[in-house]
Amino acid sequence: MMETTQELIQELTKIAEAPGAAVLDAIKSTGKKAVGCFPIYAPEELVYAAGMLPVGMWGGNTKGNLAGKYLQIFCCSVMKANTEQALRGDYDGLSAVIITAYCDTLKCLMENWKAALPGMKILPMVYAQNRKTASGRQYMKEEFLRIGKELEKVGGTEITDQALKAALDIYDDYRSVMQKFIVKIRKYPAVFTPRVRHLLIKAAYFMDKKDYTEKIRQILSSLPAPEPLPASRHPIILTGLIGEPVEFLDLLQENDFSVVADDLAQESRQFRTIADRNLPPLDRMVERIALQDGCAFLYDEKKTRGAMLIDMVKQTEAQAVIYCQMKFCDPEEFDYPIVKKELAQAGIPMLYVELEQQMDSMEQLRTRIQTLAEILPTRGR
Amino acid sequence: MEEVKTSKQMLGELLDKHYSDALEAKKNGQLVAWATSISPQELLTTMGIHTVYPENHAAAIGARKCAPEFISHSKGNGYSVDICSYARVNLAYMELLHSEAGDIPKPDLIFCCNNICNTVIKWYENIAKELNIPMIVFDLPFNHEYEVSKQDVRYIKGQFLEAIQKLEEITGRKFDYDKFGEVMKISSETSVWWKKAAMKAMTKPSPLNGFDLFNYMATIVCMRGTTEGMDLFKLWYEQLCEKEAKGLGPWKPGEEEKYRVMWDGIACWPYLGPTYKTLRKYGINMVTSTYPDSWYIVYEQNDLDGMARAYSSNYVNRNLDFGVDNITKLVKDYQLDGIVYHSNRSCKLMDFRQFEVQRRVEANTGVPSVIFDGDQTDPSAFSLAQFETRIQALVEMMEKRKQMAGEK
Amino acid sequence: MYLGVDIGSSSSKAVILNQDAKKIGEAILNIGTGSNGPQEVIGQALFQAGLQREAIRRTVVTGYGRMTFTSADRQITEISCHAKGVHFVMPNARTVIDIGGQDAKVICLDQSGNVGNFIMNEKCAAGTGRFLEVMARVLNCKLEDLSGLADRGDNGVTISSTCTVFAESEVISQLSMGQRIEDVALGAHCSIAQRIVGLCNRVNIVPEVVITGGVALNRNAVHCISEELKLPISRPDDPQGMGALGAALYALEFDKER
Repeated sequence: MMETTQELIQELTKIAEAPGAAVLDAIKSTGKKAVGCFPIYAPEELVYAAGMLPVGMWGGNTKGNLAGKYLQIFCCSVMKANTEQALRGDYDGLSAVIITAYCDTLKCLMENWKAALPGMKILPMVYAQNRKTASGRQYMKEEFLRIGKELEKVGGTEITDQALKAALDIYDDYRSVMQKFIVKIRKYPAVFTPRVRHLLIKAAYFMDKKDYTEKIRQILSSLPAPEPLPASRHPIILTGLIGEPVEFLDLLQENDFSVVADDLAQESRQFRTIADRNLPPLDRMVERIALQDGCAFLYDEKKTRGAMLIDMVKQTEAQAVIYCQMKFCDPEEFDYPIVKKELAQAGIPMLYVELEQQMDSMEQLRTRIQTLAEILPTRGR
Repeated sequence: MEEVKTSKQMLGELLDKHYSDALEAKKNGQLVAWATSISPQELLTTMGIHTVYPENHAAAIGARKCAPEFISHSKGNGYSVDICSYARVNLAYMELLHSEAGDIPKPDLIFCCNNICNTVIKWYENIAKELNIPMIVFDLPFNHEYEVSKQDVRYIKGQFLEAIQKLEEITGRKFDYDKFGEVMKISSETSVWWKKAAMKAMTKPSPLNGFDLFNYMATIVCMRGTTEGMDLFKLWYEQLCEKEAKGLGPWKPGEEEKYRVMWDGIACWPYLGPTYKTLRKYGINMVTSTYPDSWYIVYEQNDLDGMARAYSSNYVNRNLDFGVDNITKLVKDYQLDGIVYHSNRSCKLMDFRQFEVQRRVEANTGVPSVIFDGDQTDPSAFSLAQFETRIQALVEMMEKRKQMAGEK
Repeated sequence: MYLGVDIGSSSSKAVILNQDAKKIGEAILNIGTGSNGPQEVIGQALFQAGLQREAIRRTVVTGYGRMTFTSADRQITEISCHAKGVHFVMPNARTVIDIGGQDAKVICLDQSGNVGNFIMNEKCAAGTGRFLEVMARVLNCKLEDLSGLADRGDNGVTISSTCTVFAESEVISQLSMGQRIEDVALGAHCSIAQRIVGLCNRVNIVPEVVITGGVALNRNAVHCISEELKLPISRPDDPQGMGALGAALYALEFDKER
């Protein structure tokens, strides 16, 4: 039984490790066009409803000097990597790219891409920061309609209400399965190591969501009864933009940490919120963003991220939180002092680590993580 | 005999009054708002809410060389050194509440408009959270198309109306639409006079020393909706006209304006004097910058659509094509010899288009330019020696171009 | 006998303890990871203790190069080891400032010497020993002479740049403007002190504050940090040996556990 699990896991992790090849395969096998979707949230449902394959674009371990033509060194490594890959031609197979304006860097990036990549169809869009007000909701709806029209042109297919509803159902099914998935795998820390957990979640960005959800369902049903947990594991929660590079996750594993939950933009933030299914399709998309609190990239009047993390720690009995700060990502940098204060008040240890997708040396990071492991047990768990 | 005040004296007095009025208002229990520098202050002015501008205050702290204390306090609170230094200074000021550079009262209300960057949302969100006060956000979508779209205008106008409602709830008073009309009129007129004065630098030699733009900026931010502000810019304009009529340049008589450049981006406040002196040493007058247009917020009275469009048209909120056209036009209008681009560690929104803008403007105009590394308030991200080397290089390029033009 | 080895970026240290936690051998060499320094320094410590390698019952390695030293029983971070070592010799210590060649750290201890919280410098080298090395090079003096040079300074020149590269060009321009070399040296020490105190501000500093690591040997730097922190700072007799001592203490502890 475990063998099937391992095979399924390997299939998905392979996809996440080599997304380029996976996307090309998917284009070939489905005959669909692919549309790149920038972080943080993109209207993937619209792409799907237009009969195309949405593909996540979250950088990678790409080094080079092409992006330096457009971006200073103090630009976040995810956006530098995306630009490097685009200039290198890695994205030539995409029929369009949706770039969203969540932060100042993204605003500039969409402009540079238009300049640097005249052959690429760039679809810039803006998500409303006033997510909960009437004017903001109306704007979002209009923005989805506008992008929908653009996508219809790219795909050559009309986005019918029916198609959009079907796409939304597929995406919400994906979201609810993932919610169950991250809870269930807590009981199998040896199988779902930090790296495996991350790669499994990441694979969703490079596959048809329906197929992906099916694979995750199969993994869930193939799991045997859980073994008793080894005593030495440190359950932790990751928060931030991305839990990469994977070598960072390996350091977690080496030091006996297991990720029991996350608040990463690339991971749980994608699926933790589901809107009312009975709403009309566009309202349903608007509503999901309106409900998505505690995210650094969406204006959050009450600034609920700290409280949310404290709840997560209570629910999961995690020992600590690791704040995965992508270097130069200012929305995340601004949240840190508040989260730090609130977690300290709640007596929850938190480790702040600065990450870049392309790290030359892991040594200081290793020391930090190992020290966290060394000090946690003395707190008497 | 009553002496005629110079516009500079008046500027100083107005600013002092602006800050003392706000402190006084706070003492008397009146509401105080903290607002971003290019926000629709018309709403607050109409409501009679005293408004101070943390960006200006942070700049003043920087210019008075008081920033390090605040920067290190923020660092202690966990704010990364990579974050905007205005934010780092202000978030510390919020706790320390005193600076030799002058004080502002603690806010009761946060008024935030992201036409200057999304960073202000994060920064102000933290203030509202820490002080537990209401926050009004004006979300002015980034204009990736050349013009402000109708869809955006609808959204922005809707936000104005929602903000008015929220202000009525906060103050418990009705919004006076007649007064609003007046404030709209004054604000637009003040903007016009600000730009008229700044445009005096188009004359060669320029009667305006462009670094004065950095000084007067404080008033266009703080007092755009007031008749005092308007009077100041009228006076400044008249005095510049007088200088112009006499054929006077920016500096002492006989001191030649050899080169005319524009400064892209925010000043390096802690090094305002040294950067100015370095340029002046080489006969460089900074005749214009991106400042004159940033507060040229002009629209018809009672035209909310026009007001929405005007606020969204700030150049950093517009696309790269516009940025290139804008600077290209400045090169022609102001007869520029060169451009100095400030790669400002604090402002990613300005920085991350600079390389491409520089290339294209150079292709359009042939005017040489340099980029230097610096920061608006953090003295540790700037080196004067490096700055001077860049400026020297620019002088060499400008000189060569003049020679070549002479040979033709 | 119990061996603790601390392999830093620019030096290697070894401490040997006996059953009663009494130090019977120690050595330090100014070559660090990636060299034969670790082996040599162990040899010297063994020689001092009059022991053969076989007499060592347990070995714990720490420091930047701990992952490459495979013959230890365990590897533990320099943070835990410094805390352990300092608590052993100065039980009232609540805050340890450790400034090595690559990293600067501030470690908060509870009354029993456990690490409560810690913080490390950012990627940039401005607050580390490396900064002083660069300054010594620019000022054309030996690293060990920098402190004495700064003692003779009257008014420290302000060096505001965070980045070591920037600071280097700033110092060169200060010198070319005729600033006294002594004042520049003092300025360099003030600058590192400000960085370190900036780091300290991020945690709750509780006295007694103890300084360790190579930079602790620089009296002028310690003085500047103390001034900037507005707190007295104590220094163990052997500030560079705390990591190795802590490692040796862990080695002793593990043996007892078994």
